[in-house]
Amino acid sequence: MLNRKQFIKRGVSAARAMIIGPTVMEAADYFSPLRLTILHTNDTHSRMDPFPMDGGRNQGLGGVAARAQLIEKIRQEEEHVLLLDAGDIFQGTPYFNLYKGEPEIKAMAAMNYDACTIGNHDFDAGMENLATQLTRHANFPMLVTNYDFAGTPMEQKTQPYKILKKGKLRIGVFGVSIEGRGLIPDNLFGATKYLDPVQKANEAANKLKKDEYCDMIICLSHLGYQYKDNKVSDEILAKESENIDLIIGGHTHTFFDSPVTYKNRKGDDIIVNQVGWAGIVLGRLDFEFTKFSGKKLAGNHNISVSQKTGG
Amino acid sequence: MRKNPAFSLVAFFIFIVSCHTAYQAQSLQYKAYRINDSQQKDSSVLMLIKPYGDSVNKSMSDVVGFAEKTLDKKQPEGTLGNFMVDAFFAMAKEKYNTQVDVGFLNFGGIRLTQLPAGNVTRGKIFELMPFDNLLILQKMKGDVLQQLLDLIAAKGGWPVAGLTMQIRNKKAMNVMIGGKPIDMSTIYTTMNSDFIANGGDNADMLRPIPQITNGYLMRDALFDYIKKLKSEGKNISAKEENRVTHAE
Repeated sequence: MLNRKQFIKRGVSAARAMIIGPTVMEAADYFSPLRLTILHTNDTHSRMDPFPMDGGRNQGLGGVAARAQLIEKIRQEEEHVLLLDAGDIFQGTPYFNLYKGEPEIKAMAAMNYDACTIGNHDFDAGMENLATQLTRHANFPMLVTNYDFAGTPMEQKTQPYKILKKGKLRIGVFGVSIEGRGLIPDNLFGATKYLDPVQKANEAANKLKKDEYCDMIICLSHLGYQYKDNKVSDEILAKESENIDLIIGGHTHTFFDSPVTYKNRKGDDIIVNQVGWAGIVLGRLDFEFTKFSGKKLAGNHNISVSQKTGG
Repeated sequence: MRKNPAFSLVAFFIFIVSCHTAYQAQSLQYKAYRINDSQQKDSSVLMLIKPYGDSVNKSMSDVVGFAEKTLDKKQPEGTLGNFMVDAFFAMAKEKYNTQVDVGFLNFGGIRLTQLPAGNVTRGKIFELMPFDNLLILQKMKGDVLQQLLDLIAAKGGWPVAGLTMQIRNKKAMNVMIGGKPIDMSTIYTTMNSDFIANGGDNADMLRPIPQITNGYLMRDALFDYIKKLKSEGKNISAKEENRVTHAE
């Protein structure tokens, strides 16, 4: 009997699939549910080297070379891996003061990041510098759907979303970022227009779901996890969202003990996670998928969450 | 789970026609890997960053000072914030050669959570204050200053110099400046970063106020202050002094 992997490798057309018949395919899917491993970082803040051994609480933690090695190991073990970042790649160590983000982007390119979003500190050496660093050194897209960069040096340097195909899965990824006014100096934010992140996120997610038939929709967010006042956050976005399955967050440098599940506007589950800052932690989320079998699933979409053991 | 074969066939055709939306996430297993220096490293990434790191280390490894104890970033008040704001306050008076009434540092402007006890390198000061922010002065009436203090209270307390205050219901209460209660019509000379003076961290009330500036970088103020302490035979140190407290 064919397993799914062999099936795909032989490039079987829809016509041939019909001859073999749905029962074989369904059986194959039944016995080997699709898995997707998502690895993620946020607010790495130019932390190329581990924190120095100076007695501080973070001493020895982080470092891009050890992160790269771990990512490579996981890629060897898992068939479908995505590597994502939620912004604030820049600023925080003298690497940035001296090189304006070049080694940071080069290291991410070497690790084969699939996508990132933009953080407020990615503006710190100016939009022209960010555009230059991305153009010269990035092999991954910077995604943001609620900044309008028309007439700025960042025009056409970002994309609202990207569809990443992993085996049979179509994963829609988009980005949202934080209000610049009051956070990013005016001379750095320039003519960038900030648009409502909840509205833009729902627009992107609806498009990815309905027009692009994505099986999973991921939001890379630099909004921040939650605030004491009603400032828009990942928590607020999650509750007001539709069709987003996962928010990978940043900005508030929050170390989650475990991913948090919310109910979206339709009552479906949406997961939020964030892994602190400085590359101290690499987050890993292993999703298992089952097939829809053509009919609308009854009731709301729930995702069971548990801690991964081993590995 | 048995299925009607005819239904399966129909479902399958629907699947072929639409081609997509066929899978749904059902379960999630999570893990957080802590990355540390003792783990195996990727040699190509090490090679890639080495030339950058060598030059960073060359220019940043000089020891500029000595911290007597570990200073921490904390709200409403912490030792690391007090050290920094005292440095800015002292250097503002010196570099602008004028009386300054009060000084501020936004809490988010402290870019390390800790300054560990022991030798402090040039690189550590860059990490503490990586931005090229300027140390500037503004003159404002007490009522505008009170708005800024209320913002600071609402945000949970920032490092301050030259004043004491209490936080109650997100407002600044019992504000004392130079030992006297704040006066709404007195004009105060205040020290801030150009980031805050330009309305950063929602300090919109400061936007219209002219800035007195000589292009002096806040990071240079830290270096100069540490040098100044050294010349007086002192090390880096700070205390919590109830400058900003929560009211009962």
